Amino acid sequence: MEETPRAKYTEREKLDVFNNEFLPHINSMYNFGYRLTLDEDDAKDLVQDTYLKSYRFIESFQKGTNAKAWLFRILKNSFINDYRKKSKEPSKVDYQEVESYYNSDEVDRQITTDLRVESLQDMIGDEISNALNALDVDFRTVIILCDLEGFKYDEMAKILDIPIGTVRSRLHRARNLLKEKLSEYAKKMGYKNS
Amino acid sequence: MSQRENPFASPDGAKPTCLEMLQVILDGDASKVQQEYFASHMEECMPCYKNHQLDMQIRALIKSKCCGGNVPADLIDKIKSQVNSVS
Repeated sequence: MEETPRAKYTEREKLDVFNNEFLPHINSMYNFGYRLTLDEDDAKDLVQDTYLKSYRFIESFQKGTNAKAWLFRILKNSFINDYRKKSKEPSKVDYQEVESYYNSDEVDRQITTDLRVESLQDMIGDEISNALNALDVDFRTVIILCDLEGFKYDEMAKILDIPIGTVRSRLHRARNLLKEKLSEYAKKMGYKNS
Repeated sequence: MSQRENPFASPDGAKPTCLEMLQVILDGDASKVQQEYFASHMEECMPCYKNHQLDMQIRALIKSKCCGGNVPADLIDKIKSQVNSVS
């Protein structure tokens, strides 16, 4: 939990904050949980754990601050501590290796300048979802936080416990990797110059 | 490009590349001045225009296909009853 000055809440205030500031984010939380675990039951467990923790540690939530970012941070930490170990995903390459590989100049250029808007317009099925899910979870996460949930650099840095510079570079690489995946799908769909 | 000062330039005056400007725009971190500058830059820079179109299309697809729908109703009830039991 974030080390912040503890707020004092009465039992009634706790329930008010929980119902009015925390629960309205439950659909976004469930989607985040699902995109991390790629399993509906695991996502439900993760959301449930997160909400129970949010209530238990409600005194470290400062009223008037960003409840959604606070909840996302708890969910992300629960995922790393409780779920990532037993995740149904195959074990991933060590993240340091991934990070250093993708830090190479080769990946920093615009990878798929050949991917075209026209080929995306035919992706009406699960291609985009599959492409996103195929990314390493750390890259998937920044795309979700930025493009789906609209978090800013500083909020993402807090949620993920990484410096803002790392958020920027990870987002840049995540977008390039997603384009690579989409380009592969487009080629399969028959776009010769996709 | 016009003689306007580039609002994406770093404090030491280094000129940003097109991709660096595009990234700030995509990441939602651009100021209003930067957004306006980039919009007028795109009118003169075809690669930026195309890349921006492509990235916005990808974002629209993510928003329409990866939102996951609503959480199961029984989960909300379960969470509420557990919280009520500990409060």
